[in-house]
Amino acid sequence: MATAEGHGIGKYVAVYLCLLVVMALQFFIGYQNIAGSALVVRMLTFAVIETILVVLFWMNLGSEKPLFIKFIVFFTGFVLLTLNYGWTDSFRLLLFRLTGFGPS
Amino acid sequence: MSEAHLTMGAHAAPPMEERPFAIPSKKLAMWLFIMADVMTFGACVVVYAFTRNATPEWPRPFRSVTNVAVMTLIMLTSALTMLMALRAAKMADKAKAFRWMMITAAGGVLFTLLHIRDWMGMMSQGVSLLQNPWGPAAFGAAFYSITGFSLLHISVGTIALIAVAIRYQGGRYNADDIEIVSIFWQFVGLVWLFIVPVVYLMNVAR
Repeated sequence: MATAEGHGIGKYVAVYLCLLVVMALQFFIGYQNIAGSALVVRMLTFAVIETILVVLFWMNLGSEKPLFIKFIVFFTGFVLLTLNYGWTDSFRLLLFRLTGFGPS
Repeated sequence: MSEAHLTMGAHAAPPMEERPFAIPSKKLAMWLFIMADVMTFGACVVVYAFTRNATPEWPRPFRSVTNVAVMTLIMLTSALTMLMALRAAKMADKAKAFRWMMITAAGGVLFTLLHIRDWMGMMSQGVSLLQNPWGPAAFGAAFYSITGFSLLHISVGTIALIAVAIRYQGGRYNADDIEIVSIFWQFVGLVWLFIVPVVYLMNVAR
């Protein structure tokens, strides 16, 4: 289990600085007057970048066997995607609340 | 064929399947736990997004996110110090590893205190699980449940860090155990990096 061996601390510090920059950008965007969906897309894009950096380099998943990486990515990704299956129903609820048009 | 197999001769059991992931059991268990936890947090975030989107006039109460920015900085820095501890442990520098782990735990304690301060600020504004001064009642429940779940993880992680550090210092645990707790600590930090934009930055008062 010597995944961290052989690596200098430089890689960790580089990821730390990248994460600080990405977080600073997120805070900056948070204070901009950006419309809902555009704001969500930008924030989630940055969050995904942070996830890739942390999981690959700080949790050392990148040093594991390719089969294990595929296992983690496939199963976690599959469940997270299917969790979003029912999310779009919130648009229907919103429309119903705003217009009063919908099931009685 | 393994050495054990050769010594067992004709009465040997059938050869075991090769370990496909080539990963120690404790580490695999931690990754499986993290996968399960990702699903829990994923459900929390999806429910939050569902409720927020389905509720007209969702409040944007956060005028300043300075406290959250400081908490994020502490969380990221403590993740880095945890990696320092892991590296020291891999190099068999016990004293250094213990010191870095304690610094990481101190970061966790500080984060928890700032988190409680953030909650106290919200409570003083009248935000509870069932009501808030801005309208949609679901806001308080959604806010406290998602941030509370994260706070629970960070508090438990801090206790685990201290316990592992003490046992490592006493010689009962080794660098592999520090790697396990490091993976968990990086995970709770990562979850916070999702909570900040979803809960705070998308609800900054304008």
